[in-house]
Amino acid sequence: MTDQLPLDGTGAEPSLDPDLPGPFPVGRYADRLKEFLRGRPKVLVTGEMTGFRRSRVQAFFELRDSQGALPCSIWNSDLDRLGLDPQLLTDGAEVVIGGGLDYYPGSATATPSFNFRATHLRLAGDGDLMARLKALREELRRDGLFEPQKLLARPMLPKTIGVVTARGSAACQDLLAGLERRGWRGTIVWADAPVQDRRAAPRIASALRGLAELEQVEVAVVCRGGGSLADLWAFCDENLCRTVALLRLPVISAVGHEVDRTLIDDVSAVCCSTPTHAAEELVRVDVRAARSELGVAAMRAQRAGAASIRSRGRRLGELAAGPARSVRTERVRLHQKLREVRAAAGRGLATRQDLAGRHSLVISRKGEASAKPADALARLGTFESAIRGHDPQRVLERGYARVESLHGEAVTSAAAAREASEVSVRFADEAVHARIEEDERDE
Amino acid sequence: MSEAAPTPDRTYESAVGRLEEIIARLDSGEAELRETLALCGEAKDLIVFCRDELAEVSGALTELGLDELVAGLESREA
Repeated sequence: MTDQLPLDGTGAEPSLDPDLPGPFPVGRYADRLKEFLRGRPKVLVTGEMTGFRRSRVQAFFELRDSQGALPCSIWNSDLDRLGLDPQLLTDGAEVVIGGGLDYYPGSATATPSFNFRATHLRLAGDGDLMARLKALREELRRDGLFEPQKLLARPMLPKTIGVVTARGSAACQDLLAGLERRGWRGTIVWADAPVQDRRAAPRIASALRGLAELEQVEVAVVCRGGGSLADLWAFCDENLCRTVALLRLPVISAVGHEVDRTLIDDVSAVCCSTPTHAAEELVRVDVRAARSELGVAAMRAQRAGAASIRSRGRRLGELAAGPARSVRTERVRLHQKLREVRAAAGRGLATRQDLAGRHSLVISRKGEASAKPADALARLGTFESAIRGHDPQRVLERGYARVESLHGEAVTSAAAAREASEVSVRFADEAVHARIEEDERDE
Repeated sequence: MSEAAPTPDRTYESAVGRLEEIIARLDSGEAELRETLALCGEAKDLIVFCRDELAEVSGALTELGLDELVAGLESREA
């Protein structure tokens, strides 16, 4: 640019100024600057419109996004030619403008200004938004911001939940109805925030930060009804998404949409398409069902425990009854044996009686067949005399003696007597003790 | 019914998970008598805990504004 300005330093007085070209008269410099900027190529720029206002001849606004802003203007004649509905040109509207840089050099009494002079303006279409969304999504993904929220522990049965929404909205009512259907009646902390326009994103981020600072809030939801991607553009705000991603409070995104995901969906812990679905994710336990399930579980635990103890009791009873049963069995067996013994004894007696009877019969028959009783008695007397003749006592009475050892054994030789040394000499009336001593003279 | 022992790390989901494990173990019939008695005691404790947790979110819905909650906390701290 400098080579197009009068930089030859003509007329400049030597001074102590830095070694720079000039000084140039400001009006002339400003005029050349205007020419320079107007000579820049015309481009299309897209962003969020804010501060739109019309003056008598032109309209002013700013175009912003998360990384910068541009002061813009458009002649009323150009704007009218476009035939746009003025209602759409509000804060937060995503627009595409075509034009180039402009500079009003001002004057001795007028303030100079710089802006982007738009000659064309239209609302951003889905294609424009999708292109920006894609680029932002890729950037957040590269920065690893899709994962942190998904790694946070989320309670199944929170007692306190935070809700960021516009109070009284249909989405808000749907969320409450969803919670009621699950029988959940804990504590809701409402963090009101606009959910559409350019101020929505920072307010939503601020509300979430506020909820995250409260220890008792266990999970939060950002809730809004459906809309087009342009309506939901606040939920694609880069700063909001970075805030959500780095919060330690689990955040559920419940920004109703049918097709396109907003960026907050990507960075939040869970993405829900409806407030009803969000209620189910906020409180994953159906409280009513859980109460009855708990009753069933209590019953099952009690029954299982009781059954386990009962079965062991039965086993213990069986074991305890074992000895008694064995005694009983043995007693039965013993009685049986006794009966068998009695029966056998009866049978044996009968057999013997029968045999004795038969012997008696035989003897009596033989007796009848033998000699008469007187003859038998005579014969018995003869036998008795013969036997008495051999009785040792009769021998002893006749003067003989019997020599026995002290153990009562008969000593029948002199050698045996010497060996015994002491003997008993039995006479007819009694025995006397004797010691065997031999006279040397006899030898 | 006895009160549940305070266990700071216990959550409803962990309590329900443990309860299911206990019931499965009791149903299996493999637990010895002493273990059975211990499991029954633990199950009772868990059931009381879960019952209390459910009771806490079964009363009346409480709605607070973030601003008023923060203001309340700040005044309490002051």
